[in-house]
Amino acid sequence: MASNNFLGYMMIEGNEGSIRGVALITDTRGIPKEFVRTDPLRPEALDRILYGEAFTSYAKQSLILENLLDAVSNDPQIWLCNDEEILEPLRKVSRIKTLMLEESPHVPLDAAGHIEASAEPNVYLIQAYRNGAPLRAEFPEGTRSDEVEQSALILTEAGETMNILEPFTRLSRALTYIATGRA
Amino acid sequence: MGIRDYFSRHVFKHIDVYKIDDFALEPPKVHRLNHEVITHSIIPEVKVKVHSVQLYLRMKCKAVSHVLTERRVNAKSYLVKRYVKQEIKAYSHELKPKVKVHDAMRYIRDMPLEISDMLKYQSKKPKLLPGEMLLAWYSPVVEGAVIKLVWNKQRGTLLVWYNPQSRHYKAKGVYLIRKLGFGAKPEWRWE
Repeated sequence: MASNNFLGYMMIEGNEGSIRGVALITDTRGIPKEFVRTDPLRPEALDRILYGEAFTSYAKQSLILENLLDAVSNDPQIWLCNDEEILEPLRKVSRIKTLMLEESPHVPLDAAGHIEASAEPNVYLIQAYRNGAPLRAEFPEGTRSDEVEQSALILTEAGETMNILEPFTRLSRALTYIATGRA
Repeated sequence: MGIRDYFSRHVFKHIDVYKIDDFALEPPKVHRLNHEVITHSIIPEVKVKVHSVQLYLRMKCKAVSHVLTERRVNAKSYLVKRYVKQEIKAYSHELKPKVKVHDAMRYIRDMPLEISDMLKYQSKKPKLLPGEMLLAWYSPVVEGAVIKLVWNKQRGTLLVWYNPQSRHYKAKGVYLIRKLGFGAKPEWRWE
């Protein structure tokens, strides 16, 4: 796999009826370099009996996630997701820095690159942009403080040239388009 | 016995004689010396389990876990002359369903980036000419890589199409400025 400054975005959506996932690799401008998708995974009646309510989590955390990571040929420097359910498995399987990113209503921190620990465990506010609210970043349990700092540095560098959360919007639109044929 | 009976018996030698009409003895019970013999079978019930069936034209059935001899029990083997003609297929269920992954660049290659208005966070406002009004500020945008900018009026966002081959990485902010006056169009102004 190529090593680069790419960012990886992982999104897996669905419910008990149908689950599908996409993975996007972009450069630090947000320009897509690689985009893969899964076919929808529809549990059969026997799957529902065997796995019960755990099927959705199993499909997201194991089946779809692993297959997407296997299919991606570019190794990003960090994986970003917006779903807490896949945060830990994403880190475990990819073995690279992983975090869940969200907007925060917090006022901007002192300067770009600034990190502030939150009251929630494993959650930090990261000022990735010179102008704008800090991002709420949740790390997998057991993430070392130096990994948090490295991740913040990656986000701050990317924040110079792109809106880091923006690709999630495109992923969501792409998922809708793939599922329904309508943008 | 009264006086009259006494004299009659001893003087006249008379004795009253009575006739017994309803004297009847029960008939003697007669028991047969032969014993009735009740027989109980000591042979346990034998159930035959069929673990596998091979569909031959004629199939011999026998007990699996019992030794049955003709001397102990009147066991016989029977020939099954009827059988199911159709094949019996066993299906295995895949416990780990397969997930197919496809390259989907065509879905996203031509999709624009959607950048939000950041004007509320921008402290340095541009100098505006008379008759101009600042509408929005979008940042960061890599000017050198831009192919097309479209203002999404409904969502208040900026749609940006980048040239994927571009090597430009220097980002700027771009202002959307409205010019007052009839027929005036909004204008993009880079930082």
